[in-house]
Amino acid sequence: MQSNGRTDIFDGIDFKTVAIYIALTIIGAICITSASFDESSTDIFSMSHFYMKQIVWVGAAWATAFVIMLLDSRYFHMLAYPAYLLGILALVAVLLFGREVNGAKAWFQFGSIRVQPVEFAKIAIALAVARMMSGYSFSINKAGDLFRLAAILILPLAIIILQNDTGSGIVLGSFLFVFYREGLNKWLCIPVLLVALLFIVSFIITPPVLLISLILLFTLSEAMMNRLWRSRIMFLAAIFFTSIVLYGVLSLFETGIGYYRSLLITSVCAVIVAAIYAYRSNLRNIFVILALFLSSMIFLPTADFVFSSILKPHQQNRILNFLGLVDDLRDTGYNVNQSKIAIGSGGLTGKGLMNGTQIKYNFVPEKHTDFIFCTIGEEWGFLGALVVLGLLCALILRLMKMGDRHEEPFGRVYCYCVASILLFHVLVNVGMTIGLMPVMGIPLPFVSYGGSSLIAFTVMLFIAVNLDASTRQQIDRYR
Amino acid sequence: MSRSGEPARITTLRLIVFLIFGAIVLRLAYIQLFSPKYKDMARNNIIRHVVLYPARGEVYDRNGEYLVQSRECYDFMVVYRELPKSGFDTVRVCEILGITREKLIRELQSARRNPRAPRRILNYVSKESKLLLDECNLQGFYTVYRTARQYPRKVGGNLLGYVGEVSEDMLRRYPSYNAGDYIGMTGVEAAYEDVLKGKKGLRIEEHDAYGAIRGSYMDGAFDTVPEHGRSIVCTIDARLQLFAEELMEGKVGAAVAIEPSTGEILMMVSSPTYDPDELVGRNRGNNYMQMLNNKRQPLFNRAVRAKYPPGSTFKLVQGLIGLQEGVLSPNNCYSCHNGYRAGPITVKCHAHTSPLNLYYAVATSCNAYFCYVFRNILDNPKYGGVKNGFDVWEEYVESFGFGRNLDSDFLGEGNGYVPDRKFYDKRYRGSWNSLTVLSLSIGQGELGCTPLQMANLAAIIANRGYYYVPHIVRSIEGEDSLDRRFYERHYTKVDPRHFETIVEGMWRGVNVDGTSRLAALPDLDVCGKTGTAQNPHGADHSTFLSFAPRNDPRIAISVYVENGGFGASMALPIASLLEEFYLTGEVKRQNMIDYVKNKNIYYPAYAK
Repeated sequence: MQSNGRTDIFDGIDFKTVAIYIALTIIGAICITSASFDESSTDIFSMSHFYMKQIVWVGAAWATAFVIMLLDSRYFHMLAYPAYLLGILALVAVLLFGREVNGAKAWFQFGSIRVQPVEFAKIAIALAVARMMSGYSFSINKAGDLFRLAAILILPLAIIILQNDTGSGIVLGSFLFVFYREGLNKWLCIPVLLVALLFIVSFIITPPVLLISLILLFTLSEAMMNRLWRSRIMFLAAIFFTSIVLYGVLSLFETGIGYYRSLLITSVCAVIVAAIYAYRSNLRNIFVILALFLSSMIFLPTADFVFSSILKPHQQNRILNFLGLVDDLRDTGYNVNQSKIAIGSGGLTGKGLMNGTQIKYNFVPEKHTDFIFCTIGEEWGFLGALVVLGLLCALILRLMKMGDRHEEPFGRVYCYCVASILLFHVLVNVGMTIGLMPVMGIPLPFVSYGGSSLIAFTVMLFIAVNLDASTRQQIDRYR
Repeated sequence: MSRSGEPARITTLRLIVFLIFGAIVLRLAYIQLFSPKYKDMARNNIIRHVVLYPARGEVYDRNGEYLVQSRECYDFMVVYRELPKSGFDTVRVCEILGITREKLIRELQSARRNPRAPRRILNYVSKESKLLLDECNLQGFYTVYRTARQYPRKVGGNLLGYVGEVSEDMLRRYPSYNAGDYIGMTGVEAAYEDVLKGKKGLRIEEHDAYGAIRGSYMDGAFDTVPEHGRSIVCTIDARLQLFAEELMEGKVGAAVAIEPSTGEILMMVSSPTYDPDELVGRNRGNNYMQMLNNKRQPLFNRAVRAKYPPGSTFKLVQGLIGLQEGVLSPNNCYSCHNGYRAGPITVKCHAHTSPLNLYYAVATSCNAYFCYVFRNILDNPKYGGVKNGFDVWEEYVESFGFGRNLDSDFLGEGNGYVPDRKFYDKRYRGSWNSLTVLSLSIGQGELGCTPLQMANLAAIIANRGYYYVPHIVRSIEGEDSLDRRFYERHYTKVDPRHFETIVEGMWRGVNVDGTSRLAALPDLDVCGKTGTAQNPHGADHSTFLSFAPRNDPRIAISVYVENGGFGASMALPIASLLEEFYLTGEVKRQNMIDYVKNKNIYYPAYAK
């Protein structure tokens, strides 16, 4: 292998990506200024303001990006495992010595600066995954390799969940995107997706979970009896995907029908389909199972009893609210509702900078961090939101393209990792502000206030840009 | 590294990216472009309409003394949505407001039903409590400036009326009012509501999520300033009113005094009365219910609504009609031997010299005399029949202001009742004559008058033949004059020259020899006429009608005391004391005051 060292740091850089990055950070700084500007403040340039801090952080991030570009791309391959180890250590350290913010023990406090190690751990995990998957004999469909890969992910995941920072943990689920790209067997994808789905729904331990468990239990036991695994897994997947699609379509138009009811509708349909299938294939025992399933469903209401007598009121509210069963506009639903009002009231062109009443008058909580998208939606309107979303979408597609033009799997996997992490962040962050996703405390990349997340995303992105630049240089050199 | 099927997978992944962004954009378009409700919701979040209530106009008496003042008080409001989630110091709030914690919790529960809307927790919060509440800096609560009525003299409950919150029924009838507004319910407050109420102002504020005011909406472009209600000067003399209420205490009835030269009502008492302050503030409801259940009905304004038989005072009208009709001359004599007898009918009379002329008949209140007069009026041959004669009589009586309300500025004025020909045709199936209706001659029978109408009769006689519509308001702030109708003379159908005869009779009754001797006051030339009205409820009603001085009347008065016995025994002393007080400014006859105050009257109709 020839040297990957570059002679000119600007040579081979994907300038479009850099331009998008710069645009996003500037937009972020403007939004934060608008969201946190205090007219009554005597010293508007005081460093105690969020926007002044963010401006400094943006400068620091740009400097960091420059430094990353100075590094030799081989270092990243070399440092992948040490970085991973360091990341795990940092996660463990924060679990032991960290500071609790909003219920999650996920922060280090250095003076006035707070750092969330998981932001940096994501880079390390992405590097480690890329390193492992670029190994010579690695095949994603070999059980041993898959197991090692899973271990790399599950170790940090376990620590993050112990930190009670479920939102960040779920981000790791987005690696499935990468695995699929790298040829993971479709039939393995589906169970993994199922597990991921169960995981998401598992912090909603309610009737739906009971229903899901029932469906799984009965279908799998049937599969065991008739020894027809593949078609039964397909059957399961079909139920869940249909129910999610149904829920998605229904909630897109605010029909107020929760996921539970969508699943209920789907499973009732599935029972009918299964009954027809059983009749045609002459499989008598399916009828027994269907009868058992239906009778258990009648007992589902007992779940309500469990729900109301064991769970604490605030837990019940959070669950009911996400499921769309109640609209408590004072507690749980308040944030999402105010966020929707902010964005919805922006209209086509928005209310103008610093004129968003929802933002200015503090109706939207966390308006400069997790709910920064509200500022965009309210003050810049639909058009402004389209611009920001367009930039993010372009960045993700760009990263995928960068990955695809890599000759070596390390760079390709890494770029896809970054793309999938960004995609997940955008989906969940923007999704929660418009009521498509439950509220999870994860930031909007490059835009949300916060030094550690901005620097971490910058490092993550520019490692990909660096890797890409050296590949392109190489290609140019060979040409 | 397997690259088989790679392009297909890349396409799938791109598709997923587009799908995710597509869903977000679709959703954004839906809530930003096609859901106008969010714009309203954002506006509703920050906008709060604050109604600025004006102070209600003051009411003065004729001497410039306060009858009604407005005092500062506050409504304690809550916006449930803006309450702090961590709770607040309920104990302190209850302590300041003087309410129980249960009540506060109950009110908050009701407020929860509509968390966005401001809801009143408590009204009539004093200024001191308001300042204490301000110190607590409670989030979600605020106070609204209102005014409450206050009565320095504590007189004229029924006269002044009371102010209350508009009822649902009223809201339907008067669309310009909103729930929570105050409105004059009765008396002067109701009659001059438009003058007193002032004009509400409006301030549109922007509030932040914590309920703190962040500025005015559109820099106050839509704000308006409240206008203070205009004040009015009443015709009432507060001191006379107070004295009259003192004298009437414990009695059921009414006393009304009018200044004959203007028609201004100097005093108007309906007894039993009540302290108007009792119908202000938080205990209003309880007090109101108590009064409503009181059998003596303190809320019923007898002065303008009761229908009393006028009794002998009505003989004045009979005499005047007789003189005008020419069936009677002042020196006509009739004989009376303890009553009037015609066929089966006997109208009793007391012992006096006989025969007697008109002057003495008025002075001594002879029943028989006026039976002759009345029959002569009805049976006057020139009308050919008693029924036509009755029509003529009725017309005369109505010209004295009886049988319909006087169109004063006092709302809810009663009509009294003067029977007409149809009434008797129906009752007696067409066959009746002057004997049938004989009891009308002495003011009994179906006749019903309000005390105001009786006082007006006194004013008519004092004026020798005309009256001004009695009214309660002397001047209104910002207006040069009152309604035109208060400046017009209303003449009766009796020529003014006949009045002097009746006045002479009334004067003699007081000053020479008659039933009203007790009412004499030195140098004041009091003229009066007693009345004793039989009724089915117990002892006779006592009434007295008077004016003074004879040649320059400054006060015309009518006192009516239910079950008070002879006119001279109850109503006369009261009326006389009031005249003395009004005309001389003091009362020398302390023994008469004691007599009036200590006299107990038995009221079988009111179960006491």
